[in-house]
Amino acid sequence: MFKYLLESAGNINWMAISALITFMAVFTISVVLVFKHNSAYIDKMASLPLDDSNPVNSENDNHEK
Amino acid sequence: MAQVEKFSYDNAIVRKFTYATIVFGVVGILVGLIAALQLVFPSLNLGIPETTFGRIRPLHTNAAIFAFVGNGIFMGVYYSLQRLLKTRMYSKFLSEFHFWGWQAIILAAAITLPLGITSAKEYAELEWPIDIAIALVWVAFGVNMFGTILKRREQHLYVAIWFYIATWVTVTVLHIGNNLELPVSLWKSYPVFAGVQDALIQWWYGHNAVAFFLTTPYLGLMYYYLPKAANRPVYSYKLSIIHFWALIFIYIWAGPHHLLYTSLPDWAQSLGTVFSIMLIAPSWGGMLNGLLTLRGAWDRVRQDPVLKFMVVAVTAYGMATFEGPMLSIKSVNAISHYTDWTIGHVHIGTLGWNGFLTFGILYWLLPRLFNTKLHSQKLANAHFWIGTLGILFYAIPLYWAGWTQSLMWKQFTPDGFLQYGNFLETVTQIIPMYALRALGGTLYVVGYFVMIYNLVKTIQAGSFIGDEEAEAPPASTWAVHTGKEHWHRWIERRPVQMLIAATIAILIGGIVEIFPMAMIDDQVPKIESVTPYTPLELEGRDIYIREGCLGCHSQMVRPFRSETERYGEYSKSGEFIYDRPFLWGSKRTGPDLHRVGGKYPDSWHYNHMLDPETTSPGSIMPPYPWLLRDELNTGNTAAKIRALQTLGTPYPEGYDQIAVDDLQKQAKIVADNLRKDGIDDDKLEEKEIVALIAYLQKLGTDIKPAPQAGN
Repeated sequence: MFKYLLESAGNINWMAISALITFMAVFTISVVLVFKHNSAYIDKMASLPLDDSNPVNSENDNHEK
Repeated sequence: MAQVEKFSYDNAIVRKFTYATIVFGVVGILVGLIAALQLVFPSLNLGIPETTFGRIRPLHTNAAIFAFVGNGIFMGVYYSLQRLLKTRMYSKFLSEFHFWGWQAIILAAAITLPLGITSAKEYAELEWPIDIAIALVWVAFGVNMFGTILKRREQHLYVAIWFYIATWVTVTVLHIGNNLELPVSLWKSYPVFAGVQDALIQWWYGHNAVAFFLTTPYLGLMYYYLPKAANRPVYSYKLSIIHFWALIFIYIWAGPHHLLYTSLPDWAQSLGTVFSIMLIAPSWGGMLNGLLTLRGAWDRVRQDPVLKFMVVAVTAYGMATFEGPMLSIKSVNAISHYTDWTIGHVHIGTLGWNGFLTFGILYWLLPRLFNTKLHSQKLANAHFWIGTLGILFYAIPLYWAGWTQSLMWKQFTPDGFLQYGNFLETVTQIIPMYALRALGGTLYVVGYFVMIYNLVKTIQAGSFIGDEEAEAPPASTWAVHTGKEHWHRWIERRPVQMLIAATIAILIGGIVEIFPMAMIDDQVPKIESVTPYTPLELEGRDIYIREGCLGCHSQMVRPFRSETERYGEYSKSGEFIYDRPFLWGSKRTGPDLHRVGGKYPDSWHYNHMLDPETTSPGSIMPPYPWLLRDELNTGNTAAKIRALQTLGTPYPEGYDQIAVDDLQKQAKIVADNLRKDGIDDDKLEEKEIVALIAYLQKLGTDIKPAPQAGN
């Protein structure tokens, strides 16, 4: 598939190749960096939606029960 | 501990968007149901042009996408944005302007689309004055959102907000790119690009309307409301970072999968396929992140209708995003394209993902806005089951219909002839499936009314909190920052960086695909014999656009033996260089029309439009008697010629001055042909039908030695 893609790209194949390389680079770097940092920060970010309650909200939080 | 600031959240704007979501959900779904019923009972248009399938189909899609889901997005964003940033919306005026502007646009769409005022671009049908209004309102929303982000009290931007930012910037780019058009009059314009280039840009837009209007904002909502409803953080915040960047980078490339086996160059089709398949990874990463958020809380899903709706929504997202890449594989697409399989696929997305996530949010949100409890859990559960059955009854018959019809199209006899040479046979075969689909739609509507009752009772029982009191440490506690920090925190703290990074990610795909197509002439080989439309054909083409014929008829013969046997020579990109807009279509409820020119006498088309059943017994195409009755408006013909000349169509200098004379001459030839076949009517040459016949007789004849229209 990739061979076919690159063969048929003609005079714009450099764009296709560079886009593919850019994506792989961005993806790889994000994955590496994401798994390198501290868990306290990740935990804080993950709990942001739950951290916005105020007294009014808290009263309502039991409505599903 | 720093001092805390007291402030309040603006719930009034959230309530407005909530009500609009509920109301336009009903409208969008009911119009869809009427359209579905018309495929079983064509006379349900009541003989009125404004209620005929071709015109109400875009009304349904626009209402569902921009009115129902659009208001749903704004409802969810205005509530969650304030709370995630611990601040009130930036500007009350911009919030109000956004709300009323958006509703005015919906009203304009509801008026213009039934009137046949359309640019014929799927999901971008609205004409240029409304496009400008959309741009203004969208900018107001953006300023309000970024103003709110900039005055926030929370240092970091939660992942939901990245999705909102990516949505805003991408929709801006898409809306401008696909609506580059030259106005002819207040309600008519021609696109800057023609034929295959127009097709590529339209489906770059069309696919990403799904991606960045129906998906990314709803993923943002999922990342906020699912943890809220489950009362636990998202399963993996790390995964959500990768999900976001991978998704927005890849999504923008996938548009050409709507154009597989068409006249689009192979390299662009292949790019679309490759990136569509790659999309499975981030899509399923997001889906699993959503579902796994409920780990250890599945017992609550059994009781809580909010979680039930959300689980099915996320599951439907997973199904649709698995199916989408599969449909992008060329050999699968060869079967699925132009059939009801596609319609089934998109409705898994809209009814399941968008619909059910909206319902879950509504059931969660309204009791909070009104400081009360949901009126009835039982009714919400009933809605859940009726709606789920509705989705199943909707989608399964359409999958069945799609496979059946496609296989019938491709079936040859042992002697090498098409087994079902009459296209109509393949339609009448699946009408029972259309009836079942309408039943599914009815169930979904019934469930929706149950929800409305439940929510109205909830509202009546509560008291609205317009300004919800809150408190948070001021921004000054984190505004001064020094020292080393994690790379993504640097982006998260700066919305402008986030905006720029997201813009670069989505522009790369768009530029690589579209730039060569738009700028390099060699991508569309010229064919000497292809000529511009005559004024009469041009007017006929605009009637074809007005009536929404492309909703049921494609103009793209794919290079398959089953298609060249049925329709004729496969379509070449050079044949469409004067097509503004392109009219390839994406669904064949009726046969392809690209080679219909010269296939039937003029009188056949006349009788077919008067009553399709006289020429095609069993046809589900509605009659178009008004085309035989109404006189052709030639008031804009000269302006149309001038506009097309400006865009590069090689009409001779000063041709606009004699265009109407030419039009009348050709109309007389067509009218004389009709009279020869026994059709006589006063002022036949002045009727709209004559223009439409001239256009249909021109279709596909440029490259075949056949008699020209009217000869």
